Amino acid sequence: MLEGRLAALRSRTDRHALLWSSGVLFAAIVLHVDRLPPWCTLTILALIGWRIVTALQGRQPPGKFAIAILGATLLLGIASQFSGVSGLAGGTALLTCMGALKLLETRSRRDYFVVIGVALFLVIAACLDRQSLLRLPLYIAITWLICTALAIVGTPNVPLPARRAASIAGRALVWALPIAIVLFLFFPRIQGKTWTLPGSGTAVTGLSNEMNPGAISELTTAYDPAFRARFVGRPPPARELYWRGPVLQNFDGYTWRREPRSIYRQAPLQYLGEGYRYRITLEPHQRNWWFALDLPTGGPSREVMFTWDYMLVSLQPVRQPVSYDLVSHTETRTTEPLSPLQRRLALHLPAGRNLRSHELAVAMRARAGSDASYVQSLLAMFRDGGYVYSLTPPKLDVDSIDDFLFNTRSGFCGHYASAFVNLARAGGVPARVVTGYQGGEWNPIGGYYIVRQSDAHAWAEVWLEGRGWTRVDPTGVVAPERLDRGFFEALPQAVSTTDRMLREIDWLSDARLAWDTLNTWWKDDVLEFDLGSQFALLSRLGFDSPRVAQLGTLLAGAIAVWLGWLLLRFGRMPRARDRDPLARAWRRLGERLAKAGVARRPDEGPLDYAQRLRLTHPALATNVAPLAERYARLRYGPTPSDPDAITAFVRAANSVRLRETG
Amino acid sequence: MSLEPDLAAAVATLERVILGKSRQLQLCVACLLARGHLLIEDVPGVGKTTLAHALARVFGLGWNRVQFTSDLLPADIIGVSVFDRSTQQFEFRKGPVFTQLLLADEVNRASPRTQSALLEAMEERQVSADGLTYVLPEPFFVVATQNPKEQLGTFALPESQLDRFLMRVELGYPDAAHERELLRSGERRDLMERVTAQLDSVRVCQVQQRVRHLHVADALYDYLQRVLRATREHPEIKLGLSPRAGQGLLRAAQAWALLAGRDAVLPEDVQAVFPSVAAHRLLRRDPVASGDPADFARGLLRTVPVDA
Repeated sequence: MLEGRLAALRSRTDRHALLWSSGVLFAAIVLHVDRLPPWCTLTILALIGWRIVTALQGRQPPGKFAIAILGATLLLGIASQFSGVSGLAGGTALLTCMGALKLLETRSRRDYFVVIGVALFLVIAACLDRQSLLRLPLYIAITWLICTALAIVGTPNVPLPARRAASIAGRALVWALPIAIVLFLFFPRIQGKTWTLPGSGTAVTGLSNEMNPGAISELTTAYDPAFRARFVGRPPPARELYWRGPVLQNFDGYTWRREPRSIYRQAPLQYLGEGYRYRITLEPHQRNWWFALDLPTGGPSREVMFTWDYMLVSLQPVRQPVSYDLVSHTETRTTEPLSPLQRRLALHLPAGRNLRSHELAVAMRARAGSDASYVQSLLAMFRDGGYVYSLTPPKLDVDSIDDFLFNTRSGFCGHYASAFVNLARAGGVPARVVTGYQGGEWNPIGGYYIVRQSDAHAWAEVWLEGRGWTRVDPTGVVAPERLDRGFFEALPQAVSTTDRMLREIDWLSDARLAWDTLNTWWKDDVLEFDLGSQFALLSRLGFDSPRVAQLGTLLAGAIAVWLGWLLLRFGRMPRARDRDPLARAWRRLGERLAKAGVARRPDEGPLDYAQRLRLTHPALATNVAPLAERYARLRYGPTPSDPDAITAFVRAANSVRLRETG
Repeated sequence: MSLEPDLAAAVATLERVILGKSRQLQLCVACLLARGHLLIEDVPGVGKTTLAHALARVFGLGWNRVQFTSDLLPADIIGVSVFDRSTQQFEFRKGPVFTQLLLADEVNRASPRTQSALLEAMEERQVSADGLTYVLPEPFFVVATQNPKEQLGTFALPESQLDRFLMRVELGYPDAAHERELLRSGERRDLMERVTAQLDSVRVCQVQQRVRHLHVADALYDYLQRVLRATREHPEIKLGLSPRAGQGLLRAAQAWALLAGRDAVLPEDVQAVFPSVAAHRLLRRDPVASGDPADFARGLLRTVPVDA
């Protein structure tokens, strides 16, 4: 029995099955290799290698006992590494190890199927883990490879050539495509993304909830997109593109922070002018705030709060890309007075710090007639006082405002916003720092704005009686080009060479924008396709009040149609002549000849036909008669049909010239 | 592969003796090489006997001729046991059937009993007499002739018995040019002296073996089966070709392919021998209305596609 088993293993088809199933397992594990602990990867590679080497040498794979011990050890190792195996990372690691272990005990075809099944599950795990468009081709390729292995292992007795297996697998995947699309469109999505397991995000740079000079200069060199905004209808002018983020109120003389308490009431807003409708697709940034055009009319859903300082804040940090629809007005007004609590907060300054600027502020306020003209005189000071915009300002003293205003006079938006708010508060005008993004790159292909980390900005808001909170951007008076043309044009040296190349070479720039458009579509319309989108689709299909039950009906109907189609397609297997390339080529040649007016009678043998052609159409016969004789030899001849000869015949038959004048 | 020289020479020699009947000659030779028996149906005087004689000479076979008459007895063909006084024992005297080529002339003149004795010997390739079995020589080739026009006092072979003949061939009158040459050159039997053997009986057996093993592709079996099915499903036909007839058709096609110098059978080979093999076997509902049997068989072939 042992001898028999070894002989069976050595047989060609079995070796194929082993090599293919270990190959696809390996390919599926590669998808996870940067997530797995190194010892895990090494163990898996060792197990796969062990199995292949023993098989090639014709030795016995390890016994059940050894496998059990190995399995227990690996389980313990993974459980301790990931503190359990219930999460995505731990579960995936366990699956990879168990797949490799299963490979060790493969003996029958069923075992190989199990290994291939594990590989498929690993692809699913990879899809749960990461969904970027860049990885999509990889997922498709590996799925195809796995299905090819399935075809090879599923054809036991004849060794199926890899190319043929790949073609079978490819066609099967194409036939499965309709049902995949139907499931995608109509399978009811449970609210909240259940398929996204929590805690699998990576840290991405973004705005933080505090600001000190230097914090934003790190951001400005980062070219990654923060979010994209697509306007319905006309977008606002570029100067109005202030994307509101964290509002910072607390200042200790050096660092601005968010007010942690939320005991304040939102001052009621009157929205003026026309509203802009738009959709933002936010990249995950691991914080709870959601960006909006200054100022939104409210949050996109009940899960996102519209705070007293007009921020959009969710309970959970943004760990996956999200899309949301908002309406914003760039002009607002509040006629009510500021509540005493908020006024106190918005005037607070650390005691005994930045004394020089404090004196300056008091003096300037005394000269100005009103809060509004005081704000104007502050801006005039920044414009005319010899201040320069720089991304590499010198470090500041502990009294950072004094040092900046009187000594260095060089800084970026954070410095100006910080100094401005400090001066305003010292002059008795309630003020606060608003951070966020300004501007963005217009993508003409996709018709939307890409707002990048390099567009990060900080500006000020002052409270003016009768107008409410009013945006003042001191950076705008120091470096107007920063706002007009965006960050890149203003400070090209701050961007890395690659990024500059991407923007300056036209076709590269176009390609980049096209890719961004595609990627946005992928994130907005594919990954973010949820129950709401399904209902929107239903109402577009003519359902007046979309319900989940209708989705189910549509789904069932579509599956029934698909199954019916498959039944029609495969219920009657193609006849032998359709599968036989020689017969197909001969038939096709016959059809062409019939079109050329020299049809072969169905009962006429190839040689008789050739003979008849020689008599009636001698010129045509010089091309066709040899083909007919070749066909007769291939079809009826004593030598077993040689695939190369058949291929050559097919090529010749398909390319033969049938014009008599030829 | 091309036709072997001795076979080519044999066919060429026959064509010199029987003028203008190249196709019929080839069919006769194919019938011999396929180990079948031949029925030549024609009016007297078109050269049936000459043909049989020439075949025997060219292939180097021993031959006998039996003129069938109404008083011919089975023993006149098979042989008879006679009592030998000197040995005090019965001795079997072999009849004319113990030869390699038997010309059974005007076979329909004999009584059915005699006919069936011959047909049995043809089928079994052996003869039983007085409890002893005598094997007939190899090759054993019967060329029977009958005159279809002569009805009076004849016993036409029943259709079921016709199955024993692999082929039925009609010679027909020669065309004008060949007839003139025939008239000019005088008596054909005188030519016979100059006909030399191109093969011998051993070689004939060898070629017969080759015919049996000539390659038949799956596609050809498919075609052959389609042809057989067509004979069985044709509305005009009462009784189609039997499995034995199918075997015969295949063997004849193999022989034809060999004579054509091929190493494999083509549908064309099946088609070439089909009228001769099938026409006398197909039992038609209305033979008068459906015309000449060979033409009918050719028409039947037209309904069978070569490719599946």
